[in-house]
Amino acid sequence: MNSMVSRFAYRLLLRLHPASFQDEFGAEMLWIFDEEQQQAGVAPLLLDGAISLLRQRCRIQSDPGQLSITSGTIITGPGIGPLRLLQGGITFSLIFVSLIQFLSQPNPLPCFTLTLQAPSHAEVVLKTTP
Amino acid sequence: MKSETAKNAPLSTATLNILLALAGGNLHGYGIIKEVARNSDGHYRLGPGTLYDNLKKLMDAGLVSDAPPSSSSKRKSASTKEDDRRFYTLTKEGKDALAAEVDRLQTVVTQARSRLREARVGRA
Repeated sequence: MNSMVSRFAYRLLLRLHPASFQDEFGAEMLWIFDEEQQQAGVAPLLLDGAISLLRQRCRIQSDPGQLSITSGTIITGPGIGPLRLLQGGITFSLIFVSLIQFLSQPNPLPCFTLTLQAPSHAEVVLKTTP
Repeated sequence: MKSETAKNAPLSTATLNILLALAGGNLHGYGIIKEVARNSDGHYRLGPGTLYDNLKKLMDAGLVSDAPPSSSSKRKSASTKEDDRRFYTLTKEGKDALAAEVDRLQTVVTQARSRLREARVGRA
C-alpha cells in the first residue's frame, strides 16, 4: 500500500513536468523509480523528482512562449499564475509528505528516553506531619 | 560552437559521471545510474530526475544521442521490458568534451601536486 502511494506521488510529480520532458523521459523515470525505491528509499527519489520538476519549470520560465500541455496554459511571462501556485503547492506538499514518511520510519533519528519519577504520596505526608 | 563552449566550461559532477559511464559503451538510463554507482564504489548515486535533466541538456548540446541497443546488451537484459529501453551513446563532440575535461582535471591535479610539494619543501 505504501509503495502504491509513493508511486502515485511520483507519477503526480512526473505529470507536473513539462509535457515534452514527460513524453521523452516520463516512462523511463517511473520504471527507474520502481526499480530503485527498495534500494534508495522513497524520500530521496521523491526529492530528486521535485528538484527535477523545479529545474524544468525554471527552464521554461527562462524560455517564454513554450507551450505547457500539462498545465494547459501558454507560459508567456515571469508572473506567478494560480496554476503555477497550485503546482508549487503540490510539489511542496509532496516534499512534506516524504519528510513525514522518512520520520515515521522505525528509527530515523536517535531518540532519547526520559523517565520522570514523582515522590510518593506517603513521603509527602511524612514530611508535612510534625 | 556548442562543442567549443562545452570544451571550455568545466562540467558538473553529474555530467562528468554520465559522460564517463557512456564512454564505456552505450547504456540505457538505469544502466547509466548503475555504472555511475559502480565507478564511484557506491558513493555517488544519480536519481532519475537528475539523470534525465542532465541527459536532456547533453542531448540538446549534441554531446549525447540516441543509440540502437547492442546485441550484447539485449542478451544481458533479464526482462523483455528492459529490452525496450532507450539507449544513449556519446557523440564525437561528447568524446571531445570529456577528453577536454579530463585534460583540465589533469592540469588541476598537476598544479595541486606541485603546490603541495612546494609547501612541504617550505616547511622542511
